[in-house]
Amino acid sequence: MDSIPVLTIEDVAHIDDVLQDYLQKSESDLAVIIDKGGNVISQSGDHEIMDVTIIAALAAGSFAATKELARRIGEVEFNALYHQGNGSHIFMNSVDEDTIMITVFGAQTTVGLVRFYSTGACQAMANVLKNLREKSNRGGHGFQFDASDVDATQIFGKA
Amino acid sequence: MSIINYASKEIQFKIVYYGPALCGKTTNLAYIHSRINPDNRGDLVSLATAADRTLFFDFLPLNAVVIKGFRTKFQLYTVPGQVIYNATRQLVLRSVDGIVFVADSQWDKMAENIESFENLEENLRKQNISFDDIPYVLQYNKRDLPNIAPPNYMEFLLNNRKKRVQSFEVVSSTGQNVFAALNAVSQLLLHKFSKESDQARPSAAAAAPAAAAASGGNHRANLPSSGLALKR
Repeated sequence: MDSIPVLTIEDVAHIDDVLQDYLQKSESDLAVIIDKGGNVISQSGDHEIMDVTIIAALAAGSFAATKELARRIGEVEFNALYHQGNGSHIFMNSVDEDTIMITVFGAQTTVGLVRFYSTGACQAMANVLKNLREKSNRGGHGFQFDASDVDATQIFGKA
Repeated sequence: MSIINYASKEIQFKIVYYGPALCGKTTNLAYIHSRINPDNRGDLVSLATAADRTLFFDFLPLNAVVIKGFRTKFQLYTVPGQVIYNATRQLVLRSVDGIVFVADSQWDKMAENIESFENLEENLRKQNISFDDIPYVLQYNKRDLPNIAPPNYMEFLLNNRKKRVQSFEVVSSTGQNVFAALNAVSQLLLHKFSKESDQARPSAAAAAPAAAAASGGNHRANLPSSGLALKR
């Protein structure tokens, strides 16, 4: 399955609708959609307190790391993973072949509620992403610029 | 694969530092982390063993240049160099946009350099990517040590393809040429990305010429192919 190379404003609105509905119902703090390469596709909720980019990279790694464990018990991979903390917890579901949904939640809700609503959210998200992929594969990303205008020494501003 | 988000006005790229064990990949990231303004970078995350050997990967997110109002974000990864961790290397290479291959310049590391380079080629092939498709540069690291091979010899071993790529003599512990290599691969992938603006996918990836990658580097030794070099 292809990754998602282009997200238009409309695409992000569709994804965010699903995420916000899910966050409200499950009473979670944060939901993030990532691809299995660790790239953030979209996010919703309170993400000021944590670096979502790092959470995405580690979550993708965590998901992949358990794949072998799943194979040992006759599964292709685990559909969901749960990491329980003292106050904050992470629940991760596989949305489709290439995408994961990460949910961060605290004591205001329960893993059962999160798990219950995440199933429907993942199905809705899979449909949205399927449409996105079909659209993306029909053309380029449409962002035109001349890369020669970018000064190589200025790509990263040093301290 | 790069992701462009028109809502948040961001473009994400993934660069992977690849190379044999103990060649200096993590040291590259640590130097970059130390030199970038904290406002433009996240934490350097290292999943390492007690002996500081990379177990899973190192990860450093960077905010970079703004192009036409879009903020570019680069995610820098290293792979574990030890031979047994190939499954992890395949995972980290997923959705890669650019590669910095870090070679150890010491004479006794040449076989490991070649083995790692061939392993990279094989792992890319499993993702249907060839060296002609992907922007990459070479680092000849540890140039400050004794018993190192001359740059031309390393070119002969690692940069002996039809299309030569840029290569850099690096001392990652002091930072010499670390940013030169990072800037070079970043510019290559920006060139590739700009060419994909109106190309149909997925043929875009296959058709995108590696002209930028072939535009030359610091070392361009014109050495003949030989059984000693990488198999082609």
